[in-house]
Amino acid sequence: MIRTLGWLSVVALVAGLVMSFGVAPREVTQGTVQRIMYVHVPLVISSYVAFIVLAVASFAHASGEIGVMFIGLGIATGSIWGKPTWGTWWTWDARLTSVAILFVMYVGYLLLRGSIDDPERAARFAAVLGIVAALDIPLVHFSVYWWRTLHQPPSLMKPGGFTGSTAILWPLLVNLVAFVILYAYLTARRARLLRAEAEAVA
Amino acid sequence: MPDNWSFVAAAYGVTAIVLITYWWRLVRRERELDALRNRPERRTSRQS
Repeated sequence: MIRTLGWLSVVALVAGLVMSFGVAPREVTQGTVQRIMYVHVPLVISSYVAFIVLAVASFAHASGEIGVMFIGLGIATGSIWGKPTWGTWWTWDARLTSVAILFVMYVGYLLLRGSIDDPERAARFAAVLGIVAALDIPLVHFSVYWWRTLHQPPSLMKPGGFTGSTAILWPLLVNLVAFVILYAYLTARRARLLRAEAEAVA
Repeated sequence: MPDNWSFVAAAYGVTAIVLITYWWRLVRRERELDALRNRPERRTSRQS
């Protein structure tokens, strides 16, 4: 099952790359740099998935680790996009600040889990932090509507649905599916490894 | 607006490097654990 997910994510990621560079047109106002969106947006949405799963599933630790990696990459790719587009790598607007807080809270979640020896206590304490941190997800997502921000409104998951061209929507959706499959694969593999490590210690 | 291909390459490159490094770390750790499980003394102790 995990092996199948692995191959499925490779195929989906290759399809995503083909869509991003072969099918998606050069965006009129931003130029080629807009292609960063095809990796930035799926990374951020997949990290939301990871953090929501963390709050409800038994493999929370694995999901949190992948979520932190994805949101970290989402911030990095957003920053790389921001420099040529906004003229700055970073600005403390509501979206960027709230996502930075989200990242720090989930890094704290992983540190908390790692710092307590008793696995049950670690899971219980970290679960509280995980649920509190999940409250930041709607804040991050809707911050662009609630405050005046430099960051543009969301491309996907917005009131009224997607309003752009389908030539941009399809590459976004294919990449989103690819990153969600990759998230599932990495989480399953990390969860199996965590179980094996726990058995080895016992 | 200029095309800024270097920024596109940087974003995709950083993503690829981090994901592949993380995946490789998982694979290596799994192999280490497998090797630990299949150590000869453990097999001997089970047989005895």
